[in-house]
Amino acid sequence: MADLIQLLTNGLALGSVYALAAIGFVIVYSATGVVNFAAGQFVMLGTFAGVAMLLNAGLPMPVGYAAALIAMALFGALFYLVVYLPLRTSPVVTVIIGTVAIGITLQNAALLTFGSWPFRLPSPFEGMMIEVAGAVVSVHALAVVATTAVMIFLLWLLLHRTAIGIAMRAVAQDVKAARLMGLRVQWLLAFSWILGAVLAGVAGLMLGPMWFADVNMGDPIALKAFAATVIGGFGSLPGAIAGGLFVGLAEVLGASYISSAYKDLIAFGIMILFLLVRPQGIFGEPIQDRG
Amino acid sequence: MTILRAQGVTKRYGGLLALSEVDVAIEENEFVALIGPNGAGKSTLLNVLTGLTPPTAGTIELGGRSITKASTHARIRAGLGRTFQHGRLFDRLSVLENVMVGAANRPGRSEAQLESAARTSLERMGLGHLAPSRISSLSYGNRRMVELTRALAGEPRILLLDEPAAGLNSGEVEDLMTRLRAIRSEHRLAVVLIEHNMGMVMRLAERIVVLNFGRKIAEGTPAAVQADPAVLEAYLGAGSSYAAD
Repeated sequence: MADLIQLLTNGLALGSVYALAAIGFVIVYSATGVVNFAAGQFVMLGTFAGVAMLLNAGLPMPVGYAAALIAMALFGALFYLVVYLPLRTSPVVTVIIGTVAIGITLQNAALLTFGSWPFRLPSPFEGMMIEVAGAVVSVHALAVVATTAVMIFLLWLLLHRTAIGIAMRAVAQDVKAARLMGLRVQWLLAFSWILGAVLAGVAGLMLGPMWFADVNMGDPIALKAFAATVIGGFGSLPGAIAGGLFVGLAEVLGASYISSAYKDLIAFGIMILFLLVRPQGIFGEPIQDRG
Repeated sequence: MTILRAQGVTKRYGGLLALSEVDVAIEENEFVALIGPNGAGKSTLLNVLTGLTPPTAGTIELGGRSITKASTHARIRAGLGRTFQHGRLFDRLSVLENVMVGAANRPGRSEAQLESAARTSLERMGLGHLAPSRISSLSYGNRRMVELTRALAGEPRILLLDEPAAGLNSGEVEDLMTRLRAIRSEHRLAVVLIEHNMGMVMRLAERIVVLNFGRKIAEGTPAAVQADPAVLEAYLGAGSSYAAD
């Protein structure tokens, strides 16, 4: 029982990180139609923004986290300006290939800057454990779940209770109609990239202390986040959350109860099963062309 | 005073001349119908006026200022409003949120201001009770009314309506005509109506502009246009039932 509680906590924490990465991915996808293959590198960049601010620059925790997220917001804006904007009139496939190229570039830039030796990104709750129903669980894992819940609530408020959020949802559905409502579509698309990068940054900062900060961490995260969106329903935000938690739990429980060698097989096996049986995922609508 | 003036507007798609040196001037508070057989260039003209399609040649002025090179959102902010031939409501937003997006053309409005503006617009159109509804739950007629409300929420000075009566039954068309008359007396705005329902055009429009093969072939009062031989030729030649209307 104690083991199970511990595993569930760790699974939910890892799932929360996947969920945030998947949300960032879905926000960009639904606003711009671009499947961002650099999404995993965005998370890696978030972790290394933390490494740069907390370890290299030696900033205190709250300042370092804020600085890392500001850096991620700037990165999102830069990505919009340098990659999306010049390619926006190209076929969407071109933009997607562009994200692959940028993903590879980011990974190698991080390798040149930080080296191949992994870092240990500290947590504000470094080494802290508490006892829950007889099980000893890490405070960091609980904090990750709580932070993710708060982020999701804030995101919901943004999308449903602010003028910019309602405009973003309109753009996500019909760019042409949104333009004819007088919305500044390009600003809203830029904001979507920034929001996606910041959410990936939060995911990266939370993941850093759970894994090692390694420049190659982006690809496995991208694959898990992608599996999460497929399982939850491609393009659906509740789906990204449910799918992320599902993949995280499957990974941790599968590693413990079946075999750690098969943990990825379990997550991707479930994804393939969904593609065969319910391709629209848990919450998804059948994919349709955007207007 | 002229609110919208298009001069020498030409649009060429490769070898196809979709619009050829079209001149149109719309006066303040005027009700103009834009008619013509299918493929005459009516929707292309609306797309050029709203900035969705850049013209090959020609100039467009709104309220005396050139908007030929202005972006779509700048034109909407300057007073253009438009509805679509095939309703383009945001299906995943509620009726209220759809109308809020329509009101969002004025920069810096808060969510609360948008909501109160949208509620006022819905009440004025007698659709207040639909505010929380999902778009998918609306009847076809109500969808078109919500679209009209959404365009009006932006408080346009000139409203471009692309076949608003398409697919409506005769009772709904009567209702739409009553609403359009009421809108004009309340809002003091100019209306440009693209419509195939000739009965509606003849009863509502003060002036009619006729396009055929991208050219303006006639312009004048409903009576004058109905008697114009070039118009009869265009419609009868296209096999339409114009004479029966």
